[in-house]
Amino acid sequence: MKILGMVGSYRRNGNSDILAKEALMGAEEAGAEVELLRLTDYQIQACQGFGLCLFRAEGCHLEDGVKEIWAKIGEADAVLLSVPCYFLESTASLKQLIDRGWVLAHRGTFRGKYGSVLVPYATRGWIPYAMLQPNIFFGILGFHVIHRATFNVQGLGEAVHDEPGIEKAHRIGAELAQAVRDRDPTYRSEPGLCPICQDWNIRVLQDREAIECPTCGIRGRLTVENGKIHVTFDEKALAEYRFDPEVGYNHFTYHIKPSKDYFLRTKEERKEKVKKYKSYLNIGMGT
Amino acid sequence: MEAYTAHLRYYPGDPLEEIRQEDLDSIAEGYGVKAALERIENRTFSDGMMREETLDKAIEEMTQDVITVEAGDEAAFRKAILAIYRKYRSPRTPYGFWGSSPDGERVARAIAEETGGGW
Repeated sequence: MKILGMVGSYRRNGNSDILAKEALMGAEEAGAEVELLRLTDYQIQACQGFGLCLFRAEGCHLEDGVKEIWAKIGEADAVLLSVPCYFLESTASLKQLIDRGWVLAHRGTFRGKYGSVLVPYATRGWIPYAMLQPNIFFGILGFHVIHRATFNVQGLGEAVHDEPGIEKAHRIGAELAQAVRDRDPTYRSEPGLCPICQDWNIRVLQDREAIECPTCGIRGRLTVENGKIHVTFDEKALAEYRFDPEVGYNHFTYHIKPSKDYFLRTKEERKEKVKKYKSYLNIGMGT
Repeated sequence: MEAYTAHLRYYPGDPLEEIRQEDLDSIAEGYGVKAALERIENRTFSDGMMREETLDKAIEEMTQDVITVEAGDEAAFRKAILAIYRKYRSPRTPYGFWGSSPDGERVARAIAEETGGGW
């Protein structure tokens, strides 16, 4: 059994490192082989948005560190993601990696693996989207998430002062290994509002009549009882989880692939309309 | 084709509930428009789910429910489109209005933008 720790912070021996390593120590004690990688040690180019990856057996055409990251995830049974909260959400290296994951999401290459999330953060109340990118990452790849945990720590290495946090990280690593060993995807952290991503965010739709979990795309009902907000999601709504295999298949099949026909049919009209932009304020690559 | 004709294309999983001709008839009668349903099914069951290859297919040929709304009057057309979006949500892709009349597509798209289309 192998667990890969993935750190989303540039800082060596910072809080993300410490928490990831403590968790991996727990996983190792529980019998896992462990490895650690840092996203910023790899070149992760921006996705170029061509969509070629969907139509090539070999996937993405870009040559950089992303292939190695996917290979390491492929070798592992679980990923322990430790990514700090910068400006309300995860660091950009994780988002850059997510953007490169389209073909893996489509093919379900890593579906069924296990994951846990550790998020060190400095200021309470400044982490509304701290779990957004980790939830998207594990959601598109089809992982079973076992734990999602936040740690209120700030300066370089100060995580070591948070003894309950260190113990929690250790336990999270051990329980991730147990989940893999027992093939048990039971969620083990405190439940949130959404039964799928366990986050606490709600999106009010423009009609102001419906709400949804913005990450999972499932519609719910909001009521207020005795001064407390309640949100419920019915079974039909849960079946619309945007990263569900069938929903994902329909998305690629009916919302993405047919765009080729539309693109070709509107080609001449578009070529004419684009002319006015091609010679105006050209910058960057291919100028 | 009436001046305001919209083909609203709903692919599997898009509509909020099942689209039925009798429900469209109620909407059509309520707003003085025509509303028709065309159901296209080309999926086959494979590996535990319904599947279809759409990469090189024409937009009109793949599995979908197409609601065609026709009206000579923009006000009635708008109300009918609003009612349909309220019940089913709007089409969700740029080609989801393919085949509509220019005015029909203009109005149907604008309403989706104004209201969010239920998304």
